[in-house]
Amino acid sequence: MENKKPKALKRRLLLAAVVLGLAGLGYAWYILSATYDDTSNVKADFNVEATAFIQEFVKDRAAANEKYMEKIISVAGIADDISSPNDSLVTIRFSDSGSGSYAIFSFQENNMEAAKKVQQGEKVTIKGSCSGGNYSEILDLTSIEFKRCIIE
Amino acid sequence: MRSTYLFLALMIACGSLFAQKKTTTSATVSFDASTPIDALPKADNQTVIAALDTKTGDVQFEATVKNFTFSNPNIQNHFNGERRMNSDKYPKFTFKGKINDMKKVDFSKNGTYEVTVTGDLTVKDTSKTITVPATLVVKDGVINASSTFTIVLADFGVAADGNKVRKEPEIKVLAEFK
Repeated sequence: MENKKPKALKRRLLLAAVVLGLAGLGYAWYILSATYDDTSNVKADFNVEATAFIQEFVKDRAAANEKYMEKIISVAGIADDISSPNDSLVTIRFSDSGSGSYAIFSFQENNMEAAKKVQQGEKVTIKGSCSGGNYSEILDLTSIEFKRCIIE
Repeated sequence: MRSTYLFLALMIACGSLFAQKKTTTSATVSFDASTPIDALPKADNQTVIAALDTKTGDVQFEATVKNFTFSNPNIQNHFNGERRMNSDKYPKFTFKGKINDMKKVDFSKNGTYEVTVTGDLTVKDTSKTITVPATLVVKDGVINASSTFTIVLADFGVAADGNKVRKEPEIKVLAEFK
């Protein structure tokens, strides 16, 4: 009768350790297996026209960053530069002719081929995650960068 | 009047022909901090701004921290968080340097040139002078620059505790100057 209590306590402690261990494993699995949704399936927070969008950053970068940073944005504009130095890289740029400032887009792997088909001067709409705008000391203008983009 | 226009047109044409500072908005910087127990901490940024002065050998890079793209959103959040890159406060990595052995390089002649570049790499407002190897491939006026090197995260006040993140990640830089 005297030995039963420690045995029950041991069993409970073992059970608690197993539950905690499983919870830890589950959390680690959740953290490590997470992936981004395909941007094609994500609804845009904003639909904008490139020149007006770039101008918002030129006029007040802090306010524009507050509004657009890490949001999914669909931007319509004229592709003024397509850069593809090798098969696994492509970027498309929309520029504001007045200020020289620009928005630039890098693409999801499954959208690289679609991006490479865009021609300079073509009107396209690109959706992606906005990484915000920064002043470039090298170019003396504002650059607004996007990641995980798709051609709409 | 016509001769004035002709003169101006010639000046503009000559200026672009002999432009010394070449720039790109599509350089790529990638880093790999993965370890045998965690393959996730690696990312690239394909919208890095870079400049190369073909006369002086001056080299500059600006990379937006938030545009480094990870496959896993949790790892991306860790990378940008206060304990790591603190990208809200320090939005850019920069490099300002110079090609050491410019005499070896002839930008007007097709060829592959192995050089070293020395300059200040700034991460989280902490600058450190580094010297890295670089390869310059000149072909028909287009210059492809590449470099692979490692940095010590602790030198820039970046936490890399535990053994999930390599303390000296590998950095790769690619830039095409037209």
